[in-house]
Amino acid sequence: MGEVIVITSGKGGVGKTTTTANLGTGLAISGKKVVLVDTDIGLRNLDVVMGLENRIVYDLVDLVEGACRTKQALIKDKRFDGLFLLPAAQTRDKNSVTPEQMVKLCDDLREEFDYILIDCPAGIEQGFKNAIAGADRGLVLTTPEVSAVRDADRIIGLLEANELKNPCLIINRVRPDMVKKGDMMSIEDIIDILAIDLIGVVPDDENIIISTNRGEPLVTDGKAMAGKAYLNITRRIMGEEVPFIDLSGQDGFLSKVKKLFGFRTA
Amino acid sequence: MDNNEAKGIAFKGTAEALIILIPEEMETGSIMEQIAEKVKAADKFFRGAKLKIIYRGKVLSKDEEERLVAVMTENSGVIIEHIRHEDAPPVPEKEKPPKLSGMPIRRIFFKELQEGPCKFVRGTIRGGTRVFFEGNVVILGDANPGSEIVASGNVVVMGALRGMVHAGADGNREAIVASLKLCPTQLRIANLITRCPDSPENEQILPEIAFIKDEIIYVEPLGMR
Repeated sequence: MGEVIVITSGKGGVGKTTTTANLGTGLAISGKKVVLVDTDIGLRNLDVVMGLENRIVYDLVDLVEGACRTKQALIKDKRFDGLFLLPAAQTRDKNSVTPEQMVKLCDDLREEFDYILIDCPAGIEQGFKNAIAGADRGLVLTTPEVSAVRDADRIIGLLEANELKNPCLIINRVRPDMVKKGDMMSIEDIIDILAIDLIGVVPDDENIIISTNRGEPLVTDGKAMAGKAYLNITRRIMGEEVPFIDLSGQDGFLSKVKKLFGFRTA
Repeated sequence: MDNNEAKGIAFKGTAEALIILIPEEMETGSIMEQIAEKVKAADKFFRGAKLKIIYRGKVLSKDEEERLVAVMTENSGVIIEHIRHEDAPPVPEKEKPPKLSGMPIRRIFFKELQEGPCKFVRGTIRGGTRVFFEGNVVILGDANPGSEIVASGNVVVMGALRGMVHAGADGNREAIVASLKLCPTQLRIANLITRCPDSPENEQILPEIAFIKDEIIYVEPLGMR
């Protein structure tokens, strides 16, 4: 029986889609059978981030409306065998799907896959309700910004009200140098406010932008810091105990590079 | 078939047997009456013929079966060799016609490619927008990624075509797609689907046309033929 995990944040632009793509790919690297479900109907992106946009024939709405079979709607990833994408419809809206249909869909997918990752749209309206309807577990994403943390807090409340107990927290786009200077909320500050278990911290990494634009999740690149952080989260999802990366060590390295760069141009 | 007839007895001939459909709720008396009537009406057909009978619907008792045979023999002189009940065969589930892009492929599809209804759209077709038309479509502008153009006829885009396009969507394989810059996320004609290669798109800008030849979608520069 597979596990249905919803990745949500409330606020837009904190990295739900990127995180879904990277965690899904990471789980597939570990040999799990994974399906990524994009529930952002009308503003789909996951297909672009995965680089699978031009393979879409049928989508989530077609599937729940019975216009196609599950096998027809699932797009096989071009890199990993056990990885599939169920894209959202682009020319419909969130009301094209009901939470009941999502529950049924998740139950069907559970039979065949180890992990079903659901990419939740921003907001707390119909799209959010659809996304969390069939989920067993919630991953709440936030960035170290006051507005994102506020929204994450609201989302945690809504998840708990919908019987999704013990959601886990991912903090995205942390910049250790700024935290050190006191210009950015620290991980401790955020956990202090949200009071849920931390499952991962992803550093701000410009490689993410490059990889999303190319349609190749960063976890496939073993060197990038953010990619490593995502791989660690996937291992924690699978139940392993993995120590957190020491991000403060990284800032020493970064500043070294910067110094070197500055020295050269000077 | 009108309603009265639907409620009555019906005969169906097959190579092996005569099939009699008996409605579940019908009383024995009226069953016999109706059968007698029907057999009389076609007594030339039944006279002297040897028949096996299979009946569906209401299950009759041994007595009733015998009475039915007697009624048929008396009224037409048919010789009944055998009678038995059979459950109605399951109605095969009708396979839905394949439906791509929301327009079903039809046997009688749109043919007016040379001249006929045509829709003109002026401006950029943005992602998430859908142009759906039973006829030919001309876009005076670009079609961006995430947009969908579905037409039962030809599609011409006087600009860059970067979205999904489906020409001849109800089945016409003669339909074409033409654009000043043809680099759609996906290109469909009738029931064929193709997509651009995953490598970065060709930088040269020249008008191209896509069409079906030998079950394959070809793309070639416009005006070469």
